[in-house]
Amino acid sequence: VASPSPPANTAAAKVAPRWLEPLLLLAPAGVWLGLLLILPTLLIVELSFVPGIRPGDVVNPTGWGNYLKIFDPSTLTVLGRSLFFAIGTTAICLLLGYPVAYWLAQIVPKRWQNLLLVAFILPLWTSSLLRSYAWISILRDSGVLNSLLNAVGLPSLQLLYQTPAVFLGMAYSLLPYMVLILYSSLEKLDRRLLEAAADLGATPSQTFWRVTVPQTLPGLAAGCLLVFINALGDFVNPELLGGTSSMTAARLIYNKFLGNTPDWGMGSAMSTILILAVSIAIALLIKYGDRNAKSL
Amino acid sequence: MTARPPHNVSRSRRRFLTTAAAGAAGAMLPSCGWRLGNVQSNPKQVAPSDQLAVYTWEAYVDKDLLKEFQAQTKIKVTSEVFDSNETMLATFEAGKGSTYSVIYPSEITVQQMVQKEYLTELDVSRLAGLDNLLPRFRELHRNGGKRYSVPVSWGTTGLIYNPDKLSEPPTDWEYLWKHKDKLTRRMTLLSDVREVMGAVLKSLGHSYNSENPQEIKAAYEKLLKLKPAIASFTTDAWKDQLLAGDLWIAMGYSSDAAEALKQNPKLKFVIPKSGTSLWSDTMVIPKSAPNPDAAYDWINYMLRPDVAASMTQRLSFATTNEDAIVQLPQEWQGNQTLFPPDRLLSHCETLAPVNKGTAELIEKYWTQVSNS
Repeated sequence: VASPSPPANTAAAKVAPRWLEPLLLLAPAGVWLGLLLILPTLLIVELSFVPGIRPGDVVNPTGWGNYLKIFDPSTLTVLGRSLFFAIGTTAICLLLGYPVAYWLAQIVPKRWQNLLLVAFILPLWTSSLLRSYAWISILRDSGVLNSLLNAVGLPSLQLLYQTPAVFLGMAYSLLPYMVLILYSSLEKLDRRLLEAAADLGATPSQTFWRVTVPQTLPGLAAGCLLVFINALGDFVNPELLGGTSSMTAARLIYNKFLGNTPDWGMGSAMSTILILAVSIAIALLIKYGDRNAKSL
Repeated sequence: MTARPPHNVSRSRRRFLTTAAAGAAGAMLPSCGWRLGNVQSNPKQVAPSDQLAVYTWEAYVDKDLLKEFQAQTKIKVTSEVFDSNETMLATFEAGKGSTYSVIYPSEITVQQMVQKEYLTELDVSRLAGLDNLLPRFRELHRNGGKRYSVPVSWGTTGLIYNPDKLSEPPTDWEYLWKHKDKLTRRMTLLSDVREVMGAVLKSLGHSYNSENPQEIKAAYEKLLKLKPAIASFTTDAWKDQLLAGDLWIAMGYSSDAAEALKQNPKLKFVIPKSGTSLWSDTMVIPKSAPNPDAAYDWINYMLRPDVAASMTQRLSFATTNEDAIVQLPQEWQGNQTLFPPDRLLSHCETLAPVNKGTAELIEKYWTQVSNS
């Protein structure tokens, strides 16, 4: 270690770290990404071109058959239902989450902010399965909610095993993500602009739509995207809280891999379609999200 | 979760959600090969003769038993658990199968594994105590009369109901259609395509394992008529709601029913008289077993009536061992949910794999049922 080294080596040692250091630091994450994300994704794409492949079959790529199967009406219905659940959940989370995030970021006294934030993400610390089971006991016919309603003289509601229950469960699970992202965006809100708007005679609603919302647009888009992607892959809530017509794309893909009739090819094709859809959404966010940020 | 009552055998085995995570992992495992479809044969490994790896359901893991076995044979046993046959098979095919000497698949999966030539034909002369099994488990008529598996436990699928809510007790599947208006949103069916379609096929007088497209189509159409009345397809979420009176009748496994009946003795379990499915979990030795001699020792130990009887009581399942049943306390022997009389089982069938075309047809109808 303490051995004397010739001057030429010292010069080389000075140059080498410039590219070696970042490489060494990035290598673990890069290998991780390559082995555990990119490679498996490529394998899924490869499999999606093999018609009707089952475990143990030899991979022999031969065409678009699996993708054509997705255009079967019943498969399209399942995909459509997943989109419906995902878009609906995103809308609910946005409507409920924005006021909460605004309140947390702008109105609550600073010393309470962190505590309230933690309280808000606390439900995320439990298993999503547990939360769904909790909703079952709240929503069922003689459950907590109906007992309360009956106690104050209101009629019972039949919510469990219906679409509203699915939205309730999914929005409950994903709301913290929306609030967290909107909070970090609203926290940076430039209050001087709000004051200026008021000085110049803007009504509160004008100020909100033309000053507050544009400033938080990137956060808004990121929050919506995160909720949308998570909702699109959710199968716990639809499965447990939905009725007999609540099969989602995630469940269908599961069936294609581990169900009674494995068809890895079609499962992979559906996965590829979902991966593509999400990638496009993220690409759009990166492109237009940045532009919005710049235009401010 | 380890303290979970063990008679949830089927609850853990068939519950979709708990298997989903493990299942997803299982499906990803094969991807580690460059060509995952090509991962077929498991290179044989050789293990020290005093070690035995067992791959089983969580409900059958019994620390006392492992200790006793180890004390008697000096063989050190390690066990790993799976929570669905599909997960087990995916793990097996990913190459991990070659590390286990004994696996506990259900009968339907045994047949799949035999077809794929994964299993050793058992040398019956090395098995002591097969004659102690219930008659129907002594001879296996499938697989060309060859024995690949030794059944450990068994059960049925039936209807669990709350007699206070129903005007007349159900005796057959047809009851659900006959009273569907009154039972609307008061009934659940299993979340298992073969069980549900099989029950409907049976109610039409066909086999659970029918491969006739017309029969399957008729079953699909009959199921569609019942669908508006079904609250949910679920394996065990009916339990609390049946106890609370929100649900009146549920299709479920006998092991789950036995547990629900223990919590509320008012509930009743009935095996539909036109027949139902009979499942069993078994012990097999894969061809790639690193230590087949220890595997035979293990199976023989399990076949001992005293071992089977004490394990049955500790883990609460229905043993296949006739001599063990005699050793059980009276209240156990008289439990008709776990041990129904033979006359009720005469029309029952074991689910068997169907050909690929049929499986796809059933799956297609199942997706359509969840869409309509």
